[in-house]
Amino acid sequence: MRGLTREYVLQRFLMYLLTIWLGSTLIFVIPRLAPGDPVSEMVGRLSLDAGYIENADKLIESWKARFGLDAPIHVQYFRYWGNVFRLNFGYSLSHFPTEAWTMVKDALPWSLGLLTVATVLSFSIGITVGSLMGWRRTPRWLQMILPSSLTFTAIPYFMFGIMLIYLVAFELDWLPATGAYSRRVDPGWNLPFIKNVLTHAILPVVSIVLTSMGGWALGMRGLMISVNNEDYFLLAQVKGLPPTRIFFRYGVRNAILPALTALALGLGGLISGSILVEFIFAYPGTGYTLYQAIISQDYTVTQAIANLIILVTATSVFLLDLLYPLIDPRITYKRNMR
Amino acid sequence: MTVRQQAVDETTTPARGWGLNTWDSPWLNFKFLLGVAIVLLILLFGLLGPIFWDTDLAYTGAGPLNKPPVWEEGGLPEHPLGTESNGRDMLAQLILATPSSLKVGFLAAIIGMGIGMALGSVAGYVGGWWDHVIRTLSDSAITIPALVVLVVIASYVQMTDTTAMALILAAFAWPGPTRLVRSQILTLRERSYVRMAHLSGAPALEIMFVEMLPNMLPWLAASLTGGISAAILGATGLEVLGLGPTRVPSLGLIINQATTNAALVRGLVWWWLPPIIILMVIFVGFFLMTIGLDEIANPRIRQFSSSRRERIAAGEAPPVEHVDGGVAAGRDAALEVDDLHVHYFTPRGEVIAANGVNLKLRRGEILGLVGESGCGKTTVAMAILQVVQPPGRIVQGAVRIEDKDLVSLSGKQLREVRWRDLALVPQGAMNSLNPVTPVREQIADAILAHENISRVDLERRILGLLNDVGLPERVIDMYPHELSGGMKQRVCIAMSIALNPQVIVADEPTSALDVVVQRVVAQTLLEVKERLGVSMVMIGHDMGLQAQLVDRIAVMYAGNLVEVAPVESAFSEPLHPYTQLLIESIPSIKERKPLNVTEGLTHDLRNPPPGCIFQFRCQHVEQICRERRPELMEREDDHLVACWLYEPERHTLIELEEA
Repeated sequence: MRGLTREYVLQRFLMYLLTIWLGSTLIFVIPRLAPGDPVSEMVGRLSLDAGYIENADKLIESWKARFGLDAPIHVQYFRYWGNVFRLNFGYSLSHFPTEAWTMVKDALPWSLGLLTVATVLSFSIGITVGSLMGWRRTPRWLQMILPSSLTFTAIPYFMFGIMLIYLVAFELDWLPATGAYSRRVDPGWNLPFIKNVLTHAILPVVSIVLTSMGGWALGMRGLMISVNNEDYFLLAQVKGLPPTRIFFRYGVRNAILPALTALALGLGGLISGSILVEFIFAYPGTGYTLYQAIISQDYTVTQAIANLIILVTATSVFLLDLLYPLIDPRITYKRNMR
Repeated sequence: MTVRQQAVDETTTPARGWGLNTWDSPWLNFKFLLGVAIVLLILLFGLLGPIFWDTDLAYTGAGPLNKPPVWEEGGLPEHPLGTESNGRDMLAQLILATPSSLKVGFLAAIIGMGIGMALGSVAGYVGGWWDHVIRTLSDSAITIPALVVLVVIASYVQMTDTTAMALILAAFAWPGPTRLVRSQILTLRERSYVRMAHLSGAPALEIMFVEMLPNMLPWLAASLTGGISAAILGATGLEVLGLGPTRVPSLGLIINQATTNAALVRGLVWWWLPPIIILMVIFVGFFLMTIGLDEIANPRIRQFSSSRRERIAAGEAPPVEHVDGGVAAGRDAALEVDDLHVHYFTPRGEVIAANGVNLKLRRGEILGLVGESGCGKTTVAMAILQVVQPPGRIVQGAVRIEDKDLVSLSGKQLREVRWRDLALVPQGAMNSLNPVTPVREQIADAILAHENISRVDLERRILGLLNDVGLPERVIDMYPHELSGGMKQRVCIAMSIALNPQVIVADEPTSALDVVVQRVVAQTLLEVKERLGVSMVMIGHDMGLQAQLVDRIAVMYAGNLVEVAPVESAFSEPLHPYTQLLIESIPSIKERKPLNVTEGLTHDLRNPPPGCIFQFRCQHVEQICRERRPELMEREDDHLVACWLYEPERHTLIELEEA
């Protein structure tokens, strides 16, 4: 009955599918619930920009037909799903004849790299700080210093990013302000390029890590304090175990479990925030591409990216879910925990 | 956010009704109030601003272009915070933008909270199929990156005003509160006071509002403040991307205009910085409110930080005073507790939990330590083991095993003594085993902390220990949740004898078990004790069980030992009036009345009366009892009691004093 039972995996997998379905359906449905339709809106906006467009009505019609918007809504929905399933989102409107999916694929590694590094750093630093704050044996001077690491928690990533750009990039001129790498270096697996990429990533990563680790720290502190009051924690002390053993095996090991659940649930928010960070730093990941697609009204790319981000988020949550029973032996018993 | 919902813990005092008006109220939390003040201040800036400043200046062409604030060179007094590239006055823009940002946040979060409370109540209260559907939906909705969907929506739907945006944001604000309300209801409905209300036939809605809601309030409030800042963040995010309403000034829109006009590169700091500062202040305000509410909701966090504050305020804890430190325990004593004083330093005063306790545990005996709950018996056990939890502290006394005084040992020395010489069979065996590691590792932990032995020997030894307490070998690889209560308790006993200690403290080892299992566990303890010749302190309030198990019995009342006697004479002729009451309480239920009736008369533990501590409940009280504390003295053979009744000279004593 331990670890990954088939029932558990199946249940999590259904949840995974549900999340993707829910997210993609929202993207499909909500715009159609709104008054007007996207094509008329787009043409309307175009004519606002250009002053006047010939045969606006015909244009609207032909575009509608082209995107299949003239079909009944359920047909549209099935077509939409067929496309999502095959990762076929059509051509980019602004970068014709590039396919939307190709553009998205090029952007994905940048975002994944940035976010993975930032998430791992902020989670592990936050958990460490929180664990130490919730432990009575932590030296007093450390207890005094640690809470200051929470200072940035309340500030949204992108605001901190703007200030970092101003201070570190413009005023001090220490690090590059925007982009993922400089034009002058040659993309590829060579040392100068990698170094260049790393220096460009520092500021975005720092702005995400500094502003999000406090949340993990705060949560972990509460969890550690609860564990502090558990009977097994007291027994571990009475057993005469070395403090480090008590801290890791009896304290952190138990307290981190709900924190991991929180990480799974918080990934969506983290990814949301990174869109703004990419926008601020003009970092060529999915978030920035999404932004550009939106201002150029490239709605095929917009849909492709939105679906991809939902897919990636749901997959990460699913993977975390699969990891969970391996570290918490009780999970298959308390199915109703999450 | 989910971390917060980690259950209302057991220490939460149930609130009934809405009594928020006392000065003692936990709502008077500094962080929470500071946060409220900050948000109010920002709100006032937005609401009163239009009275003092002409907001028409917020529109294009109202003033000269790119003027710095008044305190910088070139600044103009009529535009104190400067103007931007369209000649709009910054101060006027900020005044207009601030309330609209706050409004979006409040509106979206309140709608989300409403939906969440409705869905969460249905899921938690109705349960069944509804619960399943709602939980699954909210769990998957919570992981969808809201801003991505919002951005896509915003690209299709031109958001004309803030209300429309708030409505769309609310679509992402409900899963958090839903999860919270559901889990809170599930926790709370198991509480005895809610069950009582149920049994007394109160309607569901009344239970919800009178019994449950007040207890959930801090959690709900924390969820609301968190939701508000999340909604403001979402709205600002859209605005910064230029996807919010473009006709209404908003803080995000100002940042968007500043960044798209390259204000950063052009050094127009007064354009992009002020909206960011205001937003930061708002976020800090809500953040303070949220963590303040967290402390209100979770008293353990409060306790933890306040005990830390106390420690810092008091400087180093004063050293423990020793009566006669360094004197070896007597040859016949396995453990000696000498003049032990334990105080709990609570915000409302020092609670004296152990007041000069003297105990000698003889080699090979079981000494019972009994008394009603709250009398300090567990405190004494914890003090013997040197694990008194803050805010409690041993303020005086010694606990000696052989020639070592545990109170004065350093951390490392103490670790060596622990478990090797002094082990514990804990009270709550249910929760005394680490839930995430198998039995093998928990027993191995105890052995390896004190000995270096090979893996093979270790394995053999653990199996031997399990065998000693009558557990099958397969238990070694099981996790605590796979064991029954009795099995867990026996694992704890096996663990306690792992190093063959001199002394075992058994803290109500059978209290949470049913009668049959109690018997098995008690027998296991006795067998183990007989075979190993270990000495044991057995704490409990079950007089019947004590009579069967222990050699001598020590009775404790309000932090003081009142009687220590061999178990036969303690039961056949108890001397102290309190012991008499305790023993009378065993055979029949009717006889328990006197104990219960007098219970309310226990003195305040913070302020013990002069004279005997039992004077308020004693039927034989005399004048001397009110004036002088009786010492624990040997009145019969090996029978000690602290009571003036057995002092023939008591009348002359008091006359002498008066003379």
